[in-house]
Amino acid sequence: MAELLEIERVGKTFGAPAEAIVAIRSVDLSVAKGEFVSIVGPSGCGKSTLLQIVAGLVPASAGEVRLEGQAVTAPPTGVVYLFQQYSRSLLPWLSVEKNVRFGFSHARSLSPREAEERCVHYLDMVGLADFRRRYPWELSGGMQQRVAIARALAAEPRMLLLDEPFSSVDALTRLELHGLILELWHKTGLTILLVTHDVEEAVYLSDRIALLTRRPAQVAEVFANALPRPRKPVESREDPRFLELRHELLTRLLQPA
Amino acid sequence: MSLRLRALAPGLAFIAFWIAALEVAARAGWVNRIFSPFPSEIAARLGRVIGSPAFPDALGSTIGLLAAGYLLACAAGILLGLAMGYHRPTYALLEPTLELLRPIPKPALLPPLILLLGLGAAMKVSIVFLGALFPVLINTIQGVRTVDPVLVDVARTFRRGVLKTVFRVVLPASLPMILSGMRVSLGLGFILVTLSEMLTGTHGLGAQLVDAQRAFRVQDMYAWTVVLAVLGLALALSFDALERRLIFWSSKR
Repeated sequence: MAELLEIERVGKTFGAPAEAIVAIRSVDLSVAKGEFVSIVGPSGCGKSTLLQIVAGLVPASAGEVRLEGQAVTAPPTGVVYLFQQYSRSLLPWLSVEKNVRFGFSHARSLSPREAEERCVHYLDMVGLADFRRRYPWELSGGMQQRVAIARALAAEPRMLLLDEPFSSVDALTRLELHGLILELWHKTGLTILLVTHDVEEAVYLSDRIALLTRRPAQVAEVFANALPRPRKPVESREDPRFLELRHELLTRLLQPA
Repeated sequence: MSLRLRALAPGLAFIAFWIAALEVAARAGWVNRIFSPFPSEIAARLGRVIGSPAFPDALGSTIGLLAAGYLLACAAGILLGLAMGYHRPTYALLEPTLELLRPIPKPALLPPLILLLGLGAAMKVSIVFLGALFPVLINTIQGVRTVDPVLVDVARTFRRGVLKTVFRVVLPASLPMILSGMRVSLGLGFILVTLSEMLTGTHGLGAQLVDAQRAFRVQDMYAWTVVLAVLGLALALSFDALERRLIFWSSKR
């Protein structure tokens, strides 16, 4: 498989040279087209910063991110970053439909009718077509995050970057959203890079898992996930391969510094 | 509505009480009957004032000048505020000038403006503009500065350009702050238009007020004061209605 994304010796330093804080030492990682890769690491290890560098939202201090061979210096076309804080990432003055429309409003060639159909199509995928005239603040947290997912998908990206997108919803909603994201991933052939501190989530969802060290971050090890697909919310979590990888990752994460 | 009325009832009753007290005091001769407000007389004069040919002219003139100066100030304040709030170099360039001009009590600018622009509409629109500009400008800068950075990053990840980001995301997100500045500006603009009319004494409600006082038509003077009060109230209520429509979403988040 062709590498869609290459992260090469990416480093990030904050602050003036004298009192600089090294957030990311050097990270190497590549993601193939259609792959679902997770990055897990201890809290504050710089994994969100790494994802923002990949998204072109934050410049790297060293190294390079390449998307299909092109260096990323600004948010590239076809890459959408899904924020952890769904309630802050939706525009409260726009209806659900118009929020989704915001995801592809640069697509000028679309007629209003086509645009509406596209909104309804993606809202339907996340099960919210009936709520398109509502406002985000009228919806529950899980529904808001689904609107954000629909907005990201409506942009029809090649790659989705997920920054702990399930961490601020309740446990059951989280399981539902896991199912939804896997279904959408399967349907659309997207490439997904997920940052999370939830080991079970990473094991349940991804093909490979990159474990980061404490700050300053670097890749400690990349684990291939042998857990078979399609993944099932209950059974997959009881599979010995799931438990084994979870055990390994948790043990490594909990090791004293 | 009846609930709203019930909430207002004590306040309205209190107004009725002090109007009645003024009436009784004037009739009983406890206060000077010529200079003090005499409610029944003011009411009678109010009818005549509103019916007079001078009234629509005065009202139209005051509202027209206020609207022109105020709307120009809002447009300029918002555009300049967006530029200063979003673009550091613009802020660095203009901020010292802003801090120098802002504390000037705006009525102090009336004498130079009269010298420069005369006694006509240009001077009055200018003083309203200058008075109304700063609250809108300051609040817009502040509003832009406090926009949630996540929203700006959302615009970036969906690859909106600078102008789209500013007008489609930053501007609406700052609107609650901008509107509270616009509310202050409206009050200041109303003060300044009245004051400039009083000073020049040619057109408008302020001029009528001063005319009545100088001609010793004391109860007419009070009637014009009532007109100004009602106009001020109408402006405030219209502003509330506009605000509710524009930022219906802001308390919900």
